[in-house]
Amino acid sequence: MSPDRLGAAAQTRGLGHGVPVGRARARRVRSPGGTEERVELAELGERVPGEAGTGRVPSAPGGTGQGGRPEAGSPAVSGWGAPARYEARSVTKSFNGAIVLDDVSVTLEPHEVHTLVGENGAGKSTLFKILSGLYTPDSGRLELGGETLGDLTPRSALGLGIYLVPQEPKLMAHLSAAENLYVGILPRRRVRLLVNWRQVHREAATYFERVGLQIDPATPAREMSIAQQQLLECARALVHRCRVILFDEPTSPLTTHETEILFGLMRQLRDAGLAIGFISHRLDEVLEVSDRVEVLRDGRLVASLRRGEATRDGLVSAMIGREIGVRTRVRRTSDVTERREVLRVESLTSEPIFRDVSFALESHEVVGVAGLVGSGRTEIAEAIFGLRAADSGRVAIDGRVLERRSPRACIEAGLVYLPEDRARHGIFSEVEITRNVTAGTIPRLPRRWGLIRQREEQELAAASAARTSVRMQSLEVAIATLSGGNQQRAMFSRWLLAEPRVAILDEPTRGVDIGAKDDIYDIISDLAASGLACLIISSELEELCLTCDRVLVVYEGAIVGELRGEEITAARLGELVVGGSSS
Amino acid sequence: MSAVAGSLTSRRTFLPTRALWARLVRLRELQLLLAMAVVVAVSAVLHPDFVSSSNVSFMLADSSVTATLAIGQTLVILGKGIDLSVAPILGIAAIVVGFPAQNHGLPLAVALVIVMGVGIVLGVGNGILVSWARIPPIITTLATLSVYGGLQFIIANGQEVVNIPNFYDTFGNSDLVPGVPWALLAAVGLALVVWLFLRQTNLGRSIYAVGNDADAAHRSGIPVQRIIFLTYVLCGFLAGIAGLIYLCHTGSADSTTGTDSNVELTSIAATLIGGTTLTGGRGGVIGSVLGAIFLSIALTAMVFARIPPIWEPAGVGGLILLAMVTDRHSGNLGSGGPRRVGRRH
Repeated sequence: MSPDRLGAAAQTRGLGHGVPVGRARARRVRSPGGTEERVELAELGERVPGEAGTGRVPSAPGGTGQGGRPEAGSPAVSGWGAPARYEARSVTKSFNGAIVLDDVSVTLEPHEVHTLVGENGAGKSTLFKILSGLYTPDSGRLELGGETLGDLTPRSALGLGIYLVPQEPKLMAHLSAAENLYVGILPRRRVRLLVNWRQVHREAATYFERVGLQIDPATPAREMSIAQQQLLECARALVHRCRVILFDEPTSPLTTHETEILFGLMRQLRDAGLAIGFISHRLDEVLEVSDRVEVLRDGRLVASLRRGEATRDGLVSAMIGREIGVRTRVRRTSDVTERREVLRVESLTSEPIFRDVSFALESHEVVGVAGLVGSGRTEIAEAIFGLRAADSGRVAIDGRVLERRSPRACIEAGLVYLPEDRARHGIFSEVEITRNVTAGTIPRLPRRWGLIRQREEQELAAASAARTSVRMQSLEVAIATLSGGNQQRAMFSRWLLAEPRVAILDEPTRGVDIGAKDDIYDIISDLAASGLACLIISSELEELCLTCDRVLVVYEGAIVGELRGEEITAARLGELVVGGSSS
Repeated sequence: MSAVAGSLTSRRTFLPTRALWARLVRLRELQLLLAMAVVVAVSAVLHPDFVSSSNVSFMLADSSVTATLAIGQTLVILGKGIDLSVAPILGIAAIVVGFPAQNHGLPLAVALVIVMGVGIVLGVGNGILVSWARIPPIITTLATLSVYGGLQFIIANGQEVVNIPNFYDTFGNSDLVPGVPWALLAAVGLALVVWLFLRQTNLGRSIYAVGNDADAAHRSGIPVQRIIFLTYVLCGFLAGIAGLIYLCHTGSADSTTGTDSNVELTSIAATLIGGTTLTGGRGGVIGSVLGAIFLSIALTAMVFARIPPIWEPAGVGGLILLAMVTDRHSGNLGSGGPRRVGRRH
């Protein structure tokens, strides 16, 4: 890297948004590649020109080659991504008359991880969506580096270097990983018109390497795991040279190991001078990564704490507005006399995902399944429930082997499955709560002359919803109007109606806030006490420690270990899920 | 553990060949060429006339109108839309240049410019309604199918084009070399340009992105509505050109040209048979052109086999269903199983 170019770059480093966005972006992308990248990061990380490649900044993508294009060092390019403070001033937003954000001001400083915490419905995601241009605030304004931004759209936000990594990664399923990374701004040939696919794949690979994503750039997005998709979203922010990256609850679908990778990346980006926004429900990780924590409650900012000032209890009480006790382990009485086997799985195999899975569940028992995303844990559950064809193996409920498994046959036999992806496989979002609750047991609903008796259906739903204390205004509103926690309770009440003997709960507390989480643990332990056998699949090792009598560990499609009682600790589980020895 | 390791290694050895095979079998273009070869071979054995240069030329020239329409239709369907109004766009284009051609010998080049303009204007109408007024595509184009159809009546004013200048007829009905008609070459040329556009430009790739997931595309900074607008304009543009090819090929045009033979449905059929999915984001124009040619060949083969023409619509329908079944089947090769729901891991 020639010093004069660095010098020029440093001189012209200013706030990039004076540059016409479209042009700057187009240029920037036609000249990606190693060398140029290094200039950028050196500036961001060291802020001293001329010392490129020496500091702690993340190393540039490997295969350089194309680096020194004529326009690579132009002012427009190097001004890009300069650190800038991003502020929301007195932002207010309401939906259908309900105020979601009420006069909220936050400031995201460069070189900081800025975290928002709060219960579901507190307005965290809404704020991030406003900051990234997905929503327009009713009033208030946004300022980047002291300049007020006009109407922001995701497109113009990206142009300014602001990107939101969403709670659920959204990629274009049939396009390759590389294309998803560059979508809309694929690097082009010198001809300036045609996409250079070789360059796309080569440079995508270097970006993937940088965020720790090990994947062939040609893989279609639909074949990527959630964790991989999330890392791809991060890489996309890098491709756009973002200086503000917002992470909306990125860790909820991730395992501990993947979370660590993501945090490593977040720290790297922060150290390189980016302003990082972060939302999480897991307070331990919030305390771990945040430089500043702000607490939202009911659309208002109620606390703002710096690193060191924030404590777990302090955050919790600020979030919910009251003190709560620390949750201790739910110990079930292991001396229930009437224990009998209710579920037996024998040599269940579905190549290439999992093989030879055997285990049994007894009544009154809560058994956990720990494993990384991609280890096959969800697929095993799907195969048991008949959602996925198995190559071989048997499943018996109450001693009776289910020959042709289908969700319906399983429900009839007393096995229910609460899917991991509530929005996609669980709720019927625009349908009333009543019909969401009774959806699993339609054949058994009370009828007269073959027609469902609506009043009785509603009574059934009301009774079942009361058992799991779903908080709602009415049974006749769309379930989408409920918070995540309450939707999950409604899902529980759906399956209670089926009077199951075995319940498979896949990530039962995903996307659920702290208060609601505790309630769900209570529901689970009540159900177990009443005799139900529960199989809990979870990425949160703490959760398994809190709730389970036994934990099965799945690694690369096989059960590799089992812990019981006091053996179950997050540390041991953490070792086993990545393939460590069980001794 | 050793058993597990064993199965892992065996998996790795077998996977590549299986994946390659699966990919080849899945290529719709290849499937279509194969199917065409079978139909042609069987028909040629039974009726040697089937492969005479005049018949081949007829079939291919006949398919060029459908092919051109299907190219535009593919663009729209890739963006998760649909355009039912291509029939009257074709019809209007045909009569708008048909009358001056018949009465004043309008030069072909001028006619081309006019049909492009007509197509673009009508396509812009669809585009505005879908992307700005946000009316669902099927409703929008069902409505404009009627509106444009009515416009065609008004423009035709009861007159018919029956006599076109010779050079129109030459373009529509003669061959570069025996068996390769000019009309088809035009369609193939357009297909190649659009293929390059779809494959090698950011705009083209954005159409795929929008069709895959409009929300995700929006978040990635793609101007979704502008892209959708563009697909309808391009579709109208191509339907206009198809109108000129139609005029040259048939030598006639009137107030119901296009709509009376339901060319909009034929173009959708060719697109679907060509492997583009109605759910958007998957497929391409080469398949659509092959689909159009295949349709033409298959229907001609039915005629040669002395199957009464009343069976023709049923034949088209059967081919669409066959294509869908093949989609289903080949889509499952190499994946986890027929009822795979959780595709996330």
